[in-house]
Amino acid sequence: MKKDRVFALVMAIVLIAAVLMAGCSPQPAASPEPKPAKYGLFMSHMTNAFTIELSDAVKAKAAELGVALTVYDGGNDAAKQLGQVETAINEGISAIIIEPVSVDGIIPAIEQAKKANIPVVTVNQNISKPELVTSFVGVSHVEGGSLEMTTAMEALGGKGNIAILDGPMGSDAQIGRDEGYSQVMAKYPDAKVVFQQTANWKTDEALKLVENWLQTGTEINAIVAENDGMALGALKAVEDAKLLDKIKIYGLDATPDALAAVKDGRLAATVSQSTTEQGTKAMEAAYKIVNGEKVDAQIMVGHTLITSANVDQFIK
Amino acid sequence: MNRLSALTRLNKKGLDLSSLRELGILIAFVLILAVLMILSPNAFARPSNFINILKQASINGILATGMMYVIISGGIDLSVGSIVALTGVVSASFAHPGEYPLVVPILLSAVIGTLIGLLNGAGVAYGSIPPFIVTLGSMTIVRGLALIAAHGSPVFNVTKAYEALAGGFLFDTIPHLVVYFLVVTVICAFVLTKTVFGRRVYAIGGNEVAARVSGINVNRMKLAVYSLSGFLAGMAGLLLASRTVSGNPTSGQSYELDAIAAVIIGGVSMTGGSGKWYGTVIGALLIAVIGNGLDILNVSSHFQLLIKGSIIVIAVLLDIKGKARQT
Repeated sequence: MKKDRVFALVMAIVLIAAVLMAGCSPQPAASPEPKPAKYGLFMSHMTNAFTIELSDAVKAKAAELGVALTVYDGGNDAAKQLGQVETAINEGISAIIIEPVSVDGIIPAIEQAKKANIPVVTVNQNISKPELVTSFVGVSHVEGGSLEMTTAMEALGGKGNIAILDGPMGSDAQIGRDEGYSQVMAKYPDAKVVFQQTANWKTDEALKLVENWLQTGTEINAIVAENDGMALGALKAVEDAKLLDKIKIYGLDATPDALAAVKDGRLAATVSQSTTEQGTKAMEAAYKIVNGEKVDAQIMVGHTLITSANVDQFIK
Repeated sequence: MNRLSALTRLNKKGLDLSSLRELGILIAFVLILAVLMILSPNAFARPSNFINILKQASINGILATGMMYVIISGGIDLSVGSIVALTGVVSASFAHPGEYPLVVPILLSAVIGTLIGLLNGAGVAYGSIPPFIVTLGSMTIVRGLALIAAHGSPVFNVTKAYEALAGGFLFDTIPHLVVYFLVVTVICAFVLTKTVFGRRVYAIGGNEVAARVSGINVNRMKLAVYSLSGFLAGMAGLLLASRTVSGNPTSGQSYELDAIAAVIIGGVSMTGGSGKWYGTVIGALLIAVIGNGLDILNVSSHFQLLIKGSIIVIAVLLDIKGKARQT
């Protein structure tokens, strides 16, 4: 039984060390004034380059404005995010900035916020009842998809076989980008989609999927992916099959690794959805609303096409 | 008595009743292969596709080999998917061009994987915590560590040598991944069937009390078994990061379930004490064949989940029926 105790002691020490380490990391400083404005950023998750860049931009803007901001990680779980927002409302938060996990699931909490007169700014992904939201800051995913597919079509001269890698089916970005793809494809009757499947934003899933597609011997002239992570998986599969001179690959998000691949000429293009700008503008909008200024109900940020011609401006 | 008989059976050489079960899996495997070859003679049935399938089975196969040891010993290891993510991230962080020699990321993966496995084993053996709970805890902790180490986003920009670890080819045709899978399988199969250590793995899974009474150091065996699973998961993490040319903190999610599925499909009993190494190999191959075949036939990934799940349940059903017939 002594060993039990030793083991429990070791676990306790590890736990205390972890708490201390977490405690030492920088926390948003609480302002000493009575009832200062408290902002909450509710992220759908914090596990990829895009969400990290977005939350970093909001944090940077909050620091610049000198306001207190708490960041909540929804862990891609709609129920968890709902609970986080409800708790924050009870604690008397001043404004909510949210990137919702689910376009529908978050509605009860947003209605609660509306009742409590707490302004809500949605960022990047809107909710299914946009009238509940004070302001939406984001991009049109249809536009992003359309820009990406147009680039691919022009490079192929409007004809050829296309393979599409979808995001998780049913997410706001997947639905919008697919619609953008379809709109462009409708203009080019000589081009056709030979494969279309989800790889859930993931590099390893896309890699396996494209390896299998290439095995079918079906001619593919371009692979269009709804994010860069999947585009890089496709790139690896195509390079392994020594087909990069025959298949062009397109991504979206402008993540650092994708930019590097564009610079090397391996990825044909990626599309930036101006992530940092989205975060900055969302924080700015929330700040203005709390301080009694009016903001637009929709603040749209543009997409930028990135090819080898202009990639250097985007590499940090 | 059933478990004890499993123990005594092992001492007998040659064919025994339980091999009928693996035979059943083998027949099912060949049947599925045949159906897919008929449905897709020009794509699925190409030799290059078989190499492709072996490649895609390799990482899960390596994880499944470790998982097989753990399950035969009467445990379970849910942490392997998270270990894949952590070692992928850490090894990729130490594989940037012009920083460290290639041996550093390789050793780090091995050490980190083994260490986490050792802690799992310590929790099970000395903490007397059920394996499901220990590894559920470490699965969550290690996923957290992977996200912390990677600051939430993928680690990229690795050396060509690192990329070639998994991405290269032997004699320009056989992917390195397949070679590793083969080496791991041969060594682990040998240890499991031809050494005292292997027989003890069966013994502690078959009847822990009997094993203890007969002088086996059960706690030390558990440490070893979980360390092995952790080590192989560390290697799998290194190989996955090399294969995708980036260390991704969200990678490896539900890989533990695929590994467990391969082991179960292969006829290894979840209650421990019995199972064959070649069953696990067939299980891993079967999962890869289904994924590959359905992708080639352009079947939606949603239906693929349905089919994979059904096969797991059918395999276990065969397992239970097979056991009932033996007693």
